[in-house]
Amino acid sequence: MGLVDKNLSLRNRNKMLIGVWEDEDALLSATQAVVDKGVHIHDVFTPYPVHGLDRIIGVKRSRLARIAFFCGLTGLSLMFTMIWYMYVKDWPVNVGNKPVRFSPSWIPVMFEGTILCTAFGMGVFFFLRNRMLHGIKNDLLDDRQTDDRMIMTIETCEGMDEKGLIELMKEKGAVETREFHHGVQTVI
Amino acid sequence: MGHGHHIEIKQETFSMPSKAKSFTMIMMILGLVLSGIGIATIDKSGAAHDTHAGHNEQVATDNHETHEHSEAAHSEHGEEANAEHHDHAVAGTAEHEEHSNVETEAFGPRIEYHAQDKPWTTKIWSNLLVAGYYFTMISLCALFWYAIQYAANAGWSVTIKRVPEAMLTFIPIAFVFVLIALIFGKDNIYHWAHYEHLGLKPGDAGYDKVLDGKSGFLNTKMLFIFPTVLIIWWYFLGNKLRSLSLQEDNAPKGEVSFFKKSIRFSAAFLVTFGFLISILAWLFMMSVDAHWYSTIFGVYNFATHWVSSIAFIAVFVIYLKSQGHLGLVNKEHQHDLGKFMFAFTVFWAYIWLFQYLLIWYAHIPEEMMYYQIRYENYKPFFLGNFILNFAVPFLFLLMRSAKRSSWVFPTIACVMIVGHYFDVWFMVMPGIFGPGAHIGLLDIGVFLFFLGLFVFWTLTQLQKRGLVAINHPFLEESVYHDTGV
Repeated sequence: MGLVDKNLSLRNRNKMLIGVWEDEDALLSATQAVVDKGVHIHDVFTPYPVHGLDRIIGVKRSRLARIAFFCGLTGLSLMFTMIWYMYVKDWPVNVGNKPVRFSPSWIPVMFEGTILCTAFGMGVFFFLRNRMLHGIKNDLLDDRQTDDRMIMTIETCEGMDEKGLIELMKEKGAVETREFHHGVQTVI
Repeated sequence: MGHGHHIEIKQETFSMPSKAKSFTMIMMILGLVLSGIGIATIDKSGAAHDTHAGHNEQVATDNHETHEHSEAAHSEHGEEANAEHHDHAVAGTAEHEEHSNVETEAFGPRIEYHAQDKPWTTKIWSNLLVAGYYFTMISLCALFWYAIQYAANAGWSVTIKRVPEAMLTFIPIAFVFVLIALIFGKDNIYHWAHYEHLGLKPGDAGYDKVLDGKSGFLNTKMLFIFPTVLIIWWYFLGNKLRSLSLQEDNAPKGEVSFFKKSIRFSAAFLVTFGFLISILAWLFMMSVDAHWYSTIFGVYNFATHWVSSIAFIAVFVIYLKSQGHLGLVNKEHQHDLGKFMFAFTVFWAYIWLFQYLLIWYAHIPEEMMYYQIRYENYKPFFLGNFILNFAVPFLFLLMRSAKRSSWVFPTIACVMIVGHYFDVWFMVMPGIFGPGAHIGLLDIGVFLFFLGLFVFWTLTQLQKRGLVAINHPFLEESVYHDTGV
């Protein structure tokens, strides 16, 4: 499993049931109703954070924090090495008779380096894992999911009551329902 | 939390368990006993011989400045002794004039760690000052925390707001101890206060240009009047906020006028606190090394007390929770307190380092003395301060699970409470006693006594009103507070 996980691509998965909502309150009650039926929701795409949604659909805790920690360590050691090479090994300069070794003036550099690497590292890994980095084909089910529509996706499996789910979505205020299979969307 | 999940909101009252009562009482008694033993074992006559050797070392590392003290070593207690000592000092300065260069002469005797000629009671008053100042600031920062929540329209903290509300009542009690320490000990704690009695004029032998230049601000009247006025003003605002909160409890549901008034009083507090809090730090703490100054010192003091105040709030919240109270508080609130604490741990370390860094960069002799004595004579203390107050809490609080744990988190908070008390101790003691200060039974006893008193007082105050701010407009928001997965 690489960093860019092909399995995450919606194209490579089973048939998806898609519901489109305009209102987050309706979406919340719909997700709750679907979860209550014992159906696993693949994901919900919203243009802005909807409070409580993550708990309902049981999103796992992001591992981004751990990546951030290691990016920070990388930045710290990178900057330490850099300043050690410049200031001690390659070209020692006598600045006001300050000792040519580790001293307080290194700390701001190391601190800033840590923050820089953490921030950039988190950004890069976040977009990489989300398949939103440049060069990775995006996976938008609906262009409006970045604007004003909320998309719920359910991955089908054998024995799933697809008709019933579509009915439930409609009943709970879905403005559109579709299915998605092998890159083809059909309105149902 | 979950959608459609309903939490019932009802008022709770707290009554102090007898266990807590006896625990705090034991803490206070133990503190008093330890202090008593500490006082009894202070060397009341021969203090001169103990610190003398260390003192000479200090002189040796710092040129020719303070040779005069070796002659004043055997003087006795009290102000007469001080005056007599100063005569020696005057003579000494005159003697060594030929060795002095112009710059240092202009600053007068820079380093004056004359521990040997201080009466033994100085130890008591300085400890009282440290403890009183620490707990005054802790309670003030609790009020600051409280005011910030109003000014920022914060909703998450409503369920725990009764804790800082109780803590802030300790302000006048702790401040009385500061005043006692100042009344009895100021001439020996602050050498500028001693210098003030001499009334020297330019041209007199022993005249100190720096102290004279600062005397417009650094004088006895200022030392008492300014902080007292500030404390009275802040306590008035704190009390006002407390009574508004109680009135809100008794008001009909949906009454927001008390909330709106609280925002205004909070703003008045925040502005005056933000601008003037440094003055307490300058007068009480920084003026111990009266020749020295650091522009960041007020912020440093604030950072220290602010983070320990949050730690106290966290410990109280978790204690109440463990006793089956604060049913509306859950891990989410604890987690946010943890983030708060984590953030200001880093802030403290930042200020701690940068005060040093600015002085280290500039390398100006009169700025160095504060760090010189601390680094040369107290290296384990100096580094231990950093480890206790930054390295340990930082690495633990980085973890989400630690912030949400019901034992790791309060343990770290306790470490920080002790650590920051030590931080304040370390700000002044080397300045007062020179290289001879050490943590003795008296220092530990005074801390224990104050800790017990503070906890006892806060828990007593918590009994006086319901634990839930039942009519606060943001109560529901706080009850359903969620920091996400």
